[in-house]
Amino acid sequence: MNEPLATLKLSWHVVVRNWVVYRKDFLANISPTLADPALMMASLGMGLSPFIGQINGLSYAQYLAPGMIATTALFTAFFESSYGFYIRLTFESIFKAMLTTPIGPREIMLGEFLWVFIRAAIMATGVGLVLACMGILPNPWALPLFPLIGGLLSLPCAAIGLLAAAKVRNINQFQTVYSFLIAPIYFLSGVFFPLQENSLLWVLVQFSPFYHGVRLLQLSAWGQFPVLEILIHLGALLLFTLLLGFLSFRLIQRKLVN
Amino acid sequence: MPSPLTMNPSAITTDLPDAPIIQARGVHKSFGNFQALKSLDMEVRRGECVGLLGPNGAGKSTFIGCLYGVVRRDGGELNVFSHDPVHHPRAIKSRLGVVPQENALDDGLTVLENMQIYARFGGLSTSQALPRIKELLAYMSLDHKSEAIIKTLSGGMKRRLAFVRALLAEPQLLLLDEPTTGLDPTVRHLLWEKVLSFKKTGKTVLVTTHYMHEAEILCDRIVILNKGEVAGAGTPKEMIERLAPGYVGIFSQDSEPLLRPLLDPARPGWELFHQGQHCCIRAPQLEDLVALQHSSGLTPLQLRPSNLEDVYLKLTGRELDTNE
Repeated sequence: MNEPLATLKLSWHVVVRNWVVYRKDFLANISPTLADPALMMASLGMGLSPFIGQINGLSYAQYLAPGMIATTALFTAFFESSYGFYIRLTFESIFKAMLTTPIGPREIMLGEFLWVFIRAAIMATGVGLVLACMGILPNPWALPLFPLIGGLLSLPCAAIGLLAAAKVRNINQFQTVYSFLIAPIYFLSGVFFPLQENSLLWVLVQFSPFYHGVRLLQLSAWGQFPVLEILIHLGALLLFTLLLGFLSFRLIQRKLVN
Repeated sequence: MPSPLTMNPSAITTDLPDAPIIQARGVHKSFGNFQALKSLDMEVRRGECVGLLGPNGAGKSTFIGCLYGVVRRDGGELNVFSHDPVHHPRAIKSRLGVVPQENALDDGLTVLENMQIYARFGGLSTSQALPRIKELLAYMSLDHKSEAIIKTLSGGMKRRLAFVRALLAEPQLLLLDEPTTGLDPTVRHLLWEKVLSFKKTGKTVLVTTHYMHEAEILCDRIVILNKGEVAGAGTPKEMIERLAPGYVGIFSQDSEPLLRPLLDPARPGWELFHQGQHCCIRAPQLEDLVALQHSSGLTPLQLRPSNLEDVYLKLTGRELDTNE
């Protein structure tokens, strides 16, 4: 079998392994990723909507809706690649055993990214369906796009988690990464309020892959298709994926191979 | 019933039949300022069981890691199945079974689920995997546990399962890193028997261990490492005869002042040394020690033939060093 094909096949086996472990605790694993956006929609979306006027012709619930898909992708990716990966790397020593088989660091990393992509894509579909059923999705035709955008958005977020997993000295330090990086990204990237163009915050969030994913989800959910903006966000997302993916691969490889 | 180890004799590779399975020349590796391997030369030939002995930190696990690419050597030549592990790890790992120091099993899965995952990693199809797993579980007396969750297994069962995992893809070479540490004698004997029957099928084994008895039972050849270098090598018998021939009388520590004047340093084959808290005398013949017992009036705690442990302690410098 040629090398790239064998690599893909072995990476897929890593995905299957993660799935076999995941489904053991299915309810516990899936609850936070579904419950958090649902609660957020109920409290902020439904609760605040009547008090807030229209935002660009949208109710607040409609404004908030696509951000919930992005949030699911972010949290699925970050928690799986930070805590999840770190536990596999250290406490469970899973990779020590994996690396005795034909699987190498490349297959482990590809498998982890693929696993996060699939999970985020499925979750994005699920959350999208719920939003559509709640009647707060102005453009239901965007539903088939959600798994793609959600999956793509999860990749750079997973890379951030992996970078954290490579750098932390103990598992508690992820809390710091969450508080000072993930939480600001989450709260300030236009999920909860529109960013004023050319403001300082707007300039800052351009450097966050999450923002570009949020925008792509918002534009598709609201049924807006400014081609240039879409291309810029798509390009930025791909660029961040390659850049952060490469960086995390280098750092994690050093953890796997001495 | 045929042994699961001989199910597929054609799987024994025939490329370069005379080439050593493992060949290391000047292999060195440092972690920061610590030189784990200084310059290691060794060979393992097809069908051999070679034991890698040495104190903790001597470089045994580092070398094992170098063999399948999880440790990147800094330099030197290294070939496993005539492949360099840095460049072709997959070619090596597809013929390799490893029992690492830690079992690293998926604690929350059942025995069967965990082995199915590793069968896939090893390239077995779903239809091949199940019979192979069942066969190996039976071989390791674990067939009644296939539906058990791994965290409910005893230490000995987990270790046997790590052996099953290593044997799934019919390896040509087994790397065992301290395979029986912390196991009870029954499990230890069972695992020894399995390793020996694996070797009988013409396959190769490299084992690290701290148990000299284990090394004597399993290994055709021993390589003793100390501080990242080979301190000595040979068959167990030959090493004992060359480096610590004869018999050893073990006395209490306070006997030393009485024993020392009785020893003629010029007599070949006599030696006074310490092992732990004890004062030991080595003599060429058992009768010499009996005679010493009479002349000194001291009763030894034990009289025994020299063994591999004596060789080990001598080569790793742990024997005379009173600071240890």
